[in-house]
Amino acid sequence: MTSIVPNQWYVAGYGREIGRREEGGDLFSRTICGESILFWRTQAGALTAMSDRCVHRRFPLSEKPSHLVGDTVVCGYHGFTYGADGVCVAVPGQTRVPRTARLRSYPVVEQDSFVWVFIGDPDKAESTRIPRAPWLDQEGWTVVAGMEPLAARASLLVDNLMDLSHETYLHGGYIGTPEVAMTPITTEVDDEAGIVYVSRHMDDAECPPFYAKSTGLSGRIARWQDIEFAPPCLYKLHSRIAPVGSVPNDDGTDPDAFHVEVVYAITPETESSTHDFWMVARDFALDDQGVSGFLAENNRTVVLQDVVALDKLEQVLAGEPDGYQELSINIDTGGLAARRLIDRLAGERAPAGAR
Amino acid sequence: MSEPGRTPRSPGEVLGGEHVLRVNWLPGSDRLRGRCHCGAEAEADDPVAMWEWLLAHPVHPAGGVEQPGPPAELPRPPAHVVTDPGVLRGRAPVPA
Repeated sequence: MTSIVPNQWYVAGYGREIGRREEGGDLFSRTICGESILFWRTQAGALTAMSDRCVHRRFPLSEKPSHLVGDTVVCGYHGFTYGADGVCVAVPGQTRVPRTARLRSYPVVEQDSFVWVFIGDPDKAESTRIPRAPWLDQEGWTVVAGMEPLAARASLLVDNLMDLSHETYLHGGYIGTPEVAMTPITTEVDDEAGIVYVSRHMDDAECPPFYAKSTGLSGRIARWQDIEFAPPCLYKLHSRIAPVGSVPNDDGTDPDAFHVEVVYAITPETESSTHDFWMVARDFALDDQGVSGFLAENNRTVVLQDVVALDKLEQVLAGEPDGYQELSINIDTGGLAARRLIDRLAGERAPAGAR
Repeated sequence: MSEPGRTPRSPGEVLGGEHVLRVNWLPGSDRLRGRCHCGAEAEADDPVAMWEWLLAHPVHPAGGVEQPGPPAELPRPPAHVVTDPGVLRGRAPVPA
């Protein structure tokens, strides 16, 4: 099974990672789905995305002494010069620019603090959904975020995030408590919308340190986890923390609860490595730097616990024959649904029993 | 899509599309109950078989979910069989 689904939008980074502070600098490169892509901003601030390989001798345009001049990028090896659309506008020593001298350009969109890039047939970009996570860039929410490199295929991170019962065992002392693994889940799949939704509502649970220290709640809590995954890239965990017995009002408002939106963008770097973007948005203690620092440090610790485990799992799987035998139980219901949806997007039909 | 701060009250009834498939893990048991958008329902204790039954729409197998039986063929080699020499070389020796 491939980890890379073509003709989809993927998160390439955070908008703030790509700046335009001064003439000459700010060439940003990242490998997305096996393609090395150069990102930069025009003088007006517009984002561009194109191949990070000069058509001449393949020199990476992100490498010094390559540089920006106005709204062009100049290759640091022989001076081939490209515009914001990737078309070569100048070559050294001659006036004629070969007609084929153009970089592959990529559809790119900035939305919800992310840089989204379309991998596949550019003609399909406009009609392909870009999932939303508006609270990452919205008044009333405070966000901490990061990215950790994962030396494992993207599907392992999807498996990991779709089954949060692992919190009890892998993340004990941080976000894991016994109730997570003990509480039944409900799973919904909407093929047409491309959504897998997994709910785990714990109405009387221990409050893990991650939430006790950030919300100030102590003792037992109502802890609701609602996963909304839009394959292949965007994963959202709507986390609700409230005093035991508190439920949202009939009109949907929920004043007694603390809401944390934990978002992951799962972007394949290669078939066997992944950019693990993580964000934690909250609707409380908005200006409290101490809470921000705590959540950032602790969520990164949790992410790194996953990274260590999944890196090891990748090594094990890479050394085994294909078609290894798995065993799935009730906790895997959502993860199996996510795999099937990803297979469907990839145009593959998963063999029976391997879903 | 749900709206943050407006958390749904009832898990299992969140998505509003016309063709939603649902699987509820029945509280207090090890059983799963699947419900197709066409109204067909069945129970199972294996999620792989549960999804196969739901995805058979519009022809859901009569008699409910077929429980996995013994394999007709010999199973694959055990999952711990390692074929990559790089992995073998990377193994730490057992201390004397």
